[in-house]
Amino acid sequence: MKLEIGNFHVKDIVFGDSLSYSDGILTINKEEALDFIRQDKRITEAELYIVKPGDMVRLCPVKEAIEPRCRLDGKGLFPGYTSDLRQAGEGVLHALKDCSVIVVGRHWGGFQDGLIDMGGPGQKHTYFGELINIVLVGDTDEEFERYEQQKCNDALRRAGHKLAEYIGQCVKDLTPEDTDVYETEPLVKRSAEKNGRPGVVAVIQPQSQMETPGYNTLYYGWDMNRYLPSYMTVQEVLDGALISGSFMPTSSKWSTYDFQNFPILRRLIEEQGDEYNFLGVILANLNVAMDQKERNAQILTNIAVQLGADYALVTEEGYGNPDADYVLAISNLEKAGIKVVAVANESTGRDGGGSPLVTLDERIVAMVSTGNVGQLIELPPMPVVLGELEALGRDGNSGGWDYDEVLGPSVRPDGSVIMEDNGLFCGDQTVGWSFKTMKDF
Amino acid sequence: MSKKAIVYINQFFGQLGGEDTADVAPSITEGQIGPAMAYNAQLNADVTHTIICGDNFMGSHTEEAVQIILDMLKDKEFDIFIAGPAFNAGRYGVACGTICKAVKEKYGVPVITSMNQENPGMEMFRKDVIIMKGGNIASKMRKDLAAVVKVANKMLAGEEIGAAAEEGYFPTGHRHQTFINERAVDRFMKMLHARIRGEDYVSEMIVPKLDRVPIAPAVKDLKHARIAMLNTGGIIPVDNPDRIQSASATRWGRYDISEMDALKGGEFKTIHAGFDPAAANENPNRIMPIDAMKVLLKEGVYGSLHPYFYTTVGTGTTEKEAARMAREIIPLLQEDQVDACILIST
Repeated sequence: MKLEIGNFHVKDIVFGDSLSYSDGILTINKEEALDFIRQDKRITEAELYIVKPGDMVRLCPVKEAIEPRCRLDGKGLFPGYTSDLRQAGEGVLHALKDCSVIVVGRHWGGFQDGLIDMGGPGQKHTYFGELINIVLVGDTDEEFERYEQQKCNDALRRAGHKLAEYIGQCVKDLTPEDTDVYETEPLVKRSAEKNGRPGVVAVIQPQSQMETPGYNTLYYGWDMNRYLPSYMTVQEVLDGALISGSFMPTSSKWSTYDFQNFPILRRLIEEQGDEYNFLGVILANLNVAMDQKERNAQILTNIAVQLGADYALVTEEGYGNPDADYVLAISNLEKAGIKVVAVANESTGRDGGGSPLVTLDERIVAMVSTGNVGQLIELPPMPVVLGELEALGRDGNSGGWDYDEVLGPSVRPDGSVIMEDNGLFCGDQTVGWSFKTMKDF
Repeated sequence: MSKKAIVYINQFFGQLGGEDTADVAPSITEGQIGPAMAYNAQLNADVTHTIICGDNFMGSHTEEAVQIILDMLKDKEFDIFIAGPAFNAGRYGVACGTICKAVKEKYGVPVITSMNQENPGMEMFRKDVIIMKGGNIASKMRKDLAAVVKVANKMLAGEEIGAAAEEGYFPTGHRHQTFINERAVDRFMKMLHARIRGEDYVSEMIVPKLDRVPIAPAVKDLKHARIAMLNTGGIIPVDNPDRIQSASATRWGRYDISEMDALKGGEFKTIHAGFDPAAANENPNRIMPIDAMKVLLKEGVYGSLHPYFYTTVGTGTTEKEAARMAREIIPLLQEDQVDACILIST
């Protein structure tokens, strides 16, 4: 399977007469783009902004991030979601790099939404503080969930995916500045030499714990709550087969942008060389009931064994209850003789005194830790807020609160913020970007 | 104005003698004695006083010793309190931990000590006090003392103390996120390559050694079995003769039940701080069911009952301490030819 991604490195984004890209400058006709967004009649309010690294701007409540792209065969970017089904992971994509489309609620947030600071001390807390972002701030007529803590955010999230696809069209006929090629051969067709090397497989566990449809990660449009582990390729992950959900405390979230760029999966392909034979991805999920967790751990381990894996990545999109699925996967793989290097964030609480994971197993012997969801973060006021900062305290955000007898409210009258890491948009960057680790004090 | 430090040492390092003077009560001297002289030379503070206490006195009259020392400090100005280094001297290590914890709680100043990883005081106090990783014998004095000074000077300057591994102290049980210069993806690839090549690597999360004991097989001949009763629910005679702690216990006790049909409320109670004690205090048999065991004995369900029940408190108690207490209790059970135990937790 061969996927080519032609890159266009965006140096600046401006609003102008027509949607176009030239010499690193992406120009967007704002009104046309907004008209496109308003084609979904559920969108009642929409506005576009451009924010850059260093801008003293706070985004809240952030719901999703997507990389603008197009496919040269004219097919949809997100099969089974915003377009008809197609095989993902093959063909040629053009991608606008170093930028993203970010979706922000004009008023209403929820448990799963987050905060991004583009400048100041909060900038380092999200990957998106490093990117130039096209920010869609909107509201919808989704009355059924306006005051719900858990929101599907369906209209706004879809608007973000469609907008990313719409903007990406401007580089369809241009020549990329450079190209990344991700190519793998079918496992049993590989040379004896390759197949003689240690096998490495990637086990990824996206969030799928909401029993009601509409909140979970989608796999070719399929809600992953009713799902058993299966085999896929990195190329498919990078090419829109997975759509981020709207459920988990956001610092543990994998946005669609994260799936499109999944650094650890890309590096596993890039670095295989002489040392290992990369066997691809076992797409698992996260479950609620113990028998579901056990069944999935058993199935994913068996797939790994049958693929001939000697080593495995295991990583989860979440913490707390999902740790049970994560630890069980690690433990089962190690029991089967497959050595695991695991990646996750931890939840040791505000004082750092709690257990790193909800359950522990001595078979976890190699783990990269990417942050503590309970870490308290204080951020100064920002001159510009896109969205509604009150959402952080008011709407049940996982990292915010409206009242605390010691700490006071998350959102203070002067616009400064005290919150948990939990509420930073994709803050723990478990897909591989995180500059954070955990240390014992 | 220069900062001030007060140093605590035992009778040996206080130059009062060895084991023969281990019973001496605390004393405070203006100026520096023994290691306090070296601290005075290296610290960014003046050591104004040296406190000396016999290890046995601190061990057997702990509350009294702590009170005397806290009183001695009442009218003193000091910016830091330092004890030890205690190396692998068990009583001294526990004394250093005890007094550092008490001084920190009472006066709110930074405290620091040093001891070897085998010192029982390490596990008892590492969560309360910064304990530098020290050598096992006194010949390591120069090195251990320098390590204490390095961190103590940071405390004096009001600087943040770094992670345990970097500063050289025993982890205090707190894990925090910290920013480093390497992305997770690079750390992941390094760890993967290391595992493939069989090279050393350091996991960013170390799972504590979990010592799981398999459940014993069922007793074959219950009718003739001798049974002993134990609990971690803190059931003790109301005067707590063994002074078992309410949490993070290091002590246990055993209590004669050969002459009673049941535990009576008012005579027994719980000292456990991890649950509402009302139900257990009203009827201690709810945790330690001596009443039911006596009835079953009369009915001939089992052979005989060991004449004592055993108690400690489970909450916050480390596995290491629990294992030590078990090693102390087991010979007593074996001596009395006990066939099976019922260990009740709460």
